[in-house]
Amino acid sequence: MRTLIAGVGYSNLSDLSVGPIVAEQLRREAWPESVEVDDLSYGPIAVVHRFAEAAPPYERLVLVGAADRLAKPARVCCYRWAGVLPPAEEVQARVAEAVTGIIDLDNLLVVAGQFRALPEEVFVVEVQPVVTEFGMELGPDVAALLPHVCRLCRRLALEGDYAATANCGQG
Amino acid sequence: MCFRNLPIEIDERGQMHLREDAEVAYGLRDRPQSSGPRPLSDEQVRDLVARNGYIKDVDFDPVTRVAGALAFHAVADLKERRMITTNSMATLFRGYEVIMLGRDPRDAIFITSRACGVCGGVHSVTSCMALEMALGLAPPPLGIVVRNLMLAMEFNYDHPLHLFLLAGPDYSRILVEQTNPEVWDKAQTCPAPGRAWHGYETIGQIMEDLNPLAGKLYVEALHMTRVAREAYVVLGGKYPHPETIVPGGVSTTVSLQTFNEFYVRLQKFFDYAKKMVAIWDDLTGFFYAANPLYQQVGTRPKNLMDVGIWDDADAYDASYAHCDQWGERRWSTPGAIMDGQLVTTKLTALNAGLEEFVERSYYDPWTGRRFVTDPLGNPLSPYHPWNKETKPKPVGQNWKEKYSWSCAPRWDRQASEAGAYARLWITAAAQKIPANPFIEATGTSLRFKVPKSALPEVELEWKIPAVWNAFERNRARAYAVAFNSLVAMNDWLKGLDLLRQGKTEVSTPFEIPKKGTRIGAGFWGAGRGWLTHHLVLDDGLVANYQIVTPSTINASPRDPWDHLGPYEEAVMNTPILETFDDPAKFKGIDILRTIRSFDPCMPCTTHIFAGDQVISREVNTCACGAEE
Repeated sequence: MRTLIAGVGYSNLSDLSVGPIVAEQLRREAWPESVEVDDLSYGPIAVVHRFAEAAPPYERLVLVGAADRLAKPARVCCYRWAGVLPPAEEVQARVAEAVTGIIDLDNLLVVAGQFRALPEEVFVVEVQPVVTEFGMELGPDVAALLPHVCRLCRRLALEGDYAATANCGQG
Repeated sequence: MCFRNLPIEIDERGQMHLREDAEVAYGLRDRPQSSGPRPLSDEQVRDLVARNGYIKDVDFDPVTRVAGALAFHAVADLKERRMITTNSMATLFRGYEVIMLGRDPRDAIFITSRACGVCGGVHSVTSCMALEMALGLAPPPLGIVVRNLMLAMEFNYDHPLHLFLLAGPDYSRILVEQTNPEVWDKAQTCPAPGRAWHGYETIGQIMEDLNPLAGKLYVEALHMTRVAREAYVVLGGKYPHPETIVPGGVSTTVSLQTFNEFYVRLQKFFDYAKKMVAIWDDLTGFFYAANPLYQQVGTRPKNLMDVGIWDDADAYDASYAHCDQWGERRWSTPGAIMDGQLVTTKLTALNAGLEEFVERSYYDPWTGRRFVTDPLGNPLSPYHPWNKETKPKPVGQNWKEKYSWSCAPRWDRQASEAGAYARLWITAAAQKIPANPFIEATGTSLRFKVPKSALPEVELEWKIPAVWNAFERNRARAYAVAFNSLVAMNDWLKGLDLLRQGKTEVSTPFEIPKKGTRIGAGFWGAGRGWLTHHLVLDDGLVANYQIVTPSTINASPRDPWDHLGPYEEAVMNTPILETFDDPAKFKGIDILRTIRSFDPCMPCTTHIFAGDQVISREVNTCACGAEE
């Protein structure tokens, strides 16, 4: 099963950069030939093109990044994306953001979902950021979770482990 | 005379001199000439708002959930249907100028590339050019050709994306039917003159296919941006943020095969350009006929500036000493248009007239004037990028004082706009484009001989417009796709010729000197116009790095003389033509069309406040499907 693990987020924004940092960490690990690790921290329209060009297409995607849900600090949440899109006007607003350079987990899902570019199985691993100032390192709370997040990504990528998604917040 | 506000004279040898002592010459007391609008004072606005229930604050606020970078505030008189005051606010500090200090200059290529999420390759090239000038490093001809090809296709990625995914929906059935039903009524029966090229019988059918997400033109543009990206990647390896742009050329491998793969993509834009031009010609003509007041939407003085782009492979030597010569050999001529007149095509004059002001921005002013002149002895302002220091100082927003993270770049102390249209205008007026089979500058127009593809060969002519407004910006951007594609065609032929001659080198080796001071400037362009990087190296490390982007220019706040920035001017001049009985239903479409016509590379539109009425597109941020 061709699988992609991808980080999403801006660089150098402390915990908000957890996606690219996890991707960088996972790149250094050994993976089966069917699993690739990449950083999708660029415009979602370009990501749509990226998936459209993939041959053979990806069958599973594990996306990892920070998302501020006003949740418990440093909460880790993983789920299978249900593919539900917001109303068309909102999707267009997100496309406009995507086009103007916004890099964001939600936008990527909505825009790529709208244009049916995503693989059949999409898992998302989200981290509630704590430190969001400029900084090249993660804050201590999220940094401590890094091994857990990497293990979670590996498990989802290799096993498509639905059970893992039931363990939200175990960080 | 090139300058009318800065007291700079140019002698017969082309050398610039200050007529006055520098302190007086660059003082901020004398008010420069300006033909721009004058907003009311804050006190006058407050008084009007208190007395008149039809006067509303209208905020186009940033996308707060992620990283909104631009917000627009306006006070509108909905009864008189006019704007009273406007403020454009860059709401984020990006700080690349600070990040670059003390670094190896080679880092700038990769770091500054991230300055824009839309322009994925232009900053890399501009950064390399600044370093090339500082080091005296000329790329080989094929390296220059490859850069030109890549950047032409980057613009062919940008313009359709803007015209159909961002600006297009403002002219779609869904929007027009809501905001101006009387215009939609006319559109349904109005014949489309360009039917032979785009296939639509009526303007209404065009509007139908401009509908966001589902409209055929929208979806087609999404596809064509992919074609452009593929063409870029064939040569550059990666987009956005290519890693093959290096000082002295490119590090990519090019061959006959890569050139052929590039051409397969390029030729698709010949037909697409024919179609885009016909669509935007038809839309523009229709709106003007439907209501002549549309010609005032987004109007502002005809002040435009551009440093040119796409070098002549036989002329570019990267030196400042020869920049006027190689600049004027570019496919897109550098220049400044002031009140509709071309006043210079010299890069040295464009450079000498460039200043950045921070009086209304969240920065402390700086003192000192390290570089009194440029390397040729031409005077430089203390506000010139080579002298500028970036000293961020966040304070509370205050319309009378500081309200933006954008500084106010000015040329000859005039608010000038940047854009793809500036490239067309200056190139058309200057008539300096090198002889070629595809593009001709007539002094009042640019003629494009677009080759046959599936559609027959055609000659398109973009004419310098009599009126300058939001519609003309979009129309020119459509013609710019023809311009980009034909520049690429010229360079593609040049590249084949170089390959045939065995001139396959694409880069020149270099070393960073560890001692001494060197300065350089990258004069280049983004999809939306003027882009410069000014670099100072001390002992091999970056001592100063200043970036002027087109959106900094266009979104700039007021300057020290209270002259408005381009967005602010254009919105100030915009009549409110939207149809509404109830002010609470006001959507602000004319204002949105105006701001979007500049192709801002910062997201700007999420919710609108009209007095106590909020029109909002609020977004649920949670995409969780199985959250605890």
